[in-house]
Amino acid sequence: MMLKPRLEDHLVIGKYTGKVIIGVGLLMVIPLLTSIAFAEWDTAIDFVIGMAACFIFGFGTQIACRTDKDLEWSHGLVVASGSWVVATALGALPHFLSGHEGSYLDAMFDVMSGYTTTGLYLLQDLDHVSHGLNMWRHVLTYAGGQGIVVIALAFLFRGTAGAYKVYVGEGKDERLLPNVINTARAIWLVSLVWLAFGWIALSVTGLALGQSPVRAILHGLWVFMGAWSTGGFAPQSYNTMYYHSVVFEVLSVIVFIAGSFNFALHWAVWTGKRAEIRKNIETVSFAITLTTLVLLATFVLARNGVYSDAVILARKSFYQLASGHTTTGFSTIFSRAFVTQWGPVGMLATTIAMAIGASACSTAGGIKGIRVGIIAKAFFHDVRKMLSPESAVVRTKYHHVRDIALEDPIVRTAMTITLAYVVMYLIVTVVGVLHGYPVVEAAFEGVSAASNTGLSCGVTLPSMPAAMKVAYMVAMWLGRLEFMSVFALIGYGVSIVRGK
Amino acid sequence: MRLRRAWLGALAAALLVLTAGCAEQHAGGGAPENPNELSSGDLVERMREYDGMSVSFTGEAIGEAMLRGDHAWIHLNDDAYYEKNIEEGAPLGGQNSGMPVWVSADLARKITTFGDYKHEGDVVRVTGVFHAACPEHGGDTDIHAESLDVVQRGHTVVDEPKRAKLAWAIALSLVAGALFVADRAIAGGLRA
Repeated sequence: MMLKPRLEDHLVIGKYTGKVIIGVGLLMVIPLLTSIAFAEWDTAIDFVIGMAACFIFGFGTQIACRTDKDLEWSHGLVVASGSWVVATALGALPHFLSGHEGSYLDAMFDVMSGYTTTGLYLLQDLDHVSHGLNMWRHVLTYAGGQGIVVIALAFLFRGTAGAYKVYVGEGKDERLLPNVINTARAIWLVSLVWLAFGWIALSVTGLALGQSPVRAILHGLWVFMGAWSTGGFAPQSYNTMYYHSVVFEVLSVIVFIAGSFNFALHWAVWTGKRAEIRKNIETVSFAITLTTLVLLATFVLARNGVYSDAVILARKSFYQLASGHTTTGFSTIFSRAFVTQWGPVGMLATTIAMAIGASACSTAGGIKGIRVGIIAKAFFHDVRKMLSPESAVVRTKYHHVRDIALEDPIVRTAMTITLAYVVMYLIVTVVGVLHGYPVVEAAFEGVSAASNTGLSCGVTLPSMPAAMKVAYMVAMWLGRLEFMSVFALIGYGVSIVRGK
Repeated sequence: MRLRRAWLGALAAALLVLTAGCAEQHAGGGAPENPNELSSGDLVERMREYDGMSVSFTGEAIGEAMLRGDHAWIHLNDDAYYEKNIEEGAPLGGQNSGMPVWVSADLARKITTFGDYKHEGDVVRVTGVFHAACPEHGGDTDIHAESLDVVQRGHTVVDEPKRAKLAWAIALSLVAGALFVADRAIAGGLRA
């Protein structure tokens, strides 16, 4: 029997959703200050409106939903997924007010894409947007990479026992430290240290490449944010092709691969366990699938004679595939070049890379290396069991921070989530095909949205049908939150109507 | 209870406004004609066909000239905004499109204004060889320009603050401030 939520349930969900949205409003201080610093007054007003709307919602909800009750599991999941929807609706205000979006739906698409670190966008005339709006695009994706709930946990929640439930609801389940709020702060510590080094390296490179100091510093920061969050937003419409530099490409690859690693792995290395990098099931799985797919794409591109020499071929192939596999979405080729140069097999290799994605509890999306690794281990475990004598006891372990015995519940969970991703990939592909796009392009773009990658073959345009925009937004949201908390939100809605 | 109902009503009204805003915006006026016989879209769409051909390409210089020794990278956009951008009232005309151009530093210096939020860049015509995957530049798609002419000088763009937006910003800030004070007062009252 489905239980109708009580008033107390609504109050606790409202209260914590309000807290998260206040956090989103506070984030807008960064683009607001940027706009003021560059005398972009009209943009500054857009951010004042955006912040005020967030605070009205946040404080209004806190007043209307005052309660001392702490979060339960179902509340945590609903707060996490619900906060993302409200944060998208309110975070879209500065985009919409800028006049660069075709509709409020387009503005919400871009914000959902930013929070979920996808990187697809519908914003028009990116090359003429203000520094303030560009800052907001990149702050969105940087914050979304760590998780907007993680931000609220780190800075706005004080000692609530239910905090862990919201944290898990956002698709993160690693506890780096015994206390979840300290875990959230540890995630921010790792991210901010990388920010300092990455920003400096990319800015210095930008200066050496001929950018003015101000533009080099801004581009260095934004490209770092796009890379570390595996978001793929860039300040110019040419994406990372704009810089025409192998050094810039190498730096961005280092940052986005690091960003795609599990925060638990970062924390292990941070605390001196360097061997974790080569032992962890996720890094091993990532290395194997990336190498295989790069070889496949390189072979096809070589056979088609797209690039004139081996070094260029390897460089282009590795960059796009690594970007796809880490679900970053940076690209050094034109979007349509996937269709006109790379062809169906090159696109298929990239699609598989995007579908797999990178590590769990990272900024990346997709099925995740840990699940691919567990399923592969389970497969070989069964093969070994079949080949062994009946009396033999076959045990399999995998390494993720510590050695873990491979047991049926772990395999079942990995298979369930993998199946959910595969079904979602199929649905978004079918939606594209039903709207008249060729199946390879529909699959490429649909998987890119659902795995939070952001590589495009030219399907995602402001003129794209509204139904596809909505389908991609839902896929980005589901993919980022890994289904459970979104299903909890839907269940919550249904129980309000049908519960007893 | 009354407070909660009022709050729910306000949220429902906001949702209605939001839904109305999701309708497509149709800006008045049309986008300018593409200045090129072969647009950047044509070049990318049929890369193999045009690879190695001499082309003439016109577009707005955006970003900056990135000097590399005696040459420089510039980027020319031939999209709907090459003459006028959105801040000046140009209608929405899709996303940017253009072509990277490798040109001698001396020719690049002819460009005085590059397009960004506060500038509409010089409109420039280059003639040179199109490369689908340039062997000299890591496989990038580009044009190696042999000549460059400035067709139209760029200009500064002023995006004046809109009065209506300013009024909304003040009104909403006052409401937000009042709610903040009320929230703190209620929290303080409960603690006491």
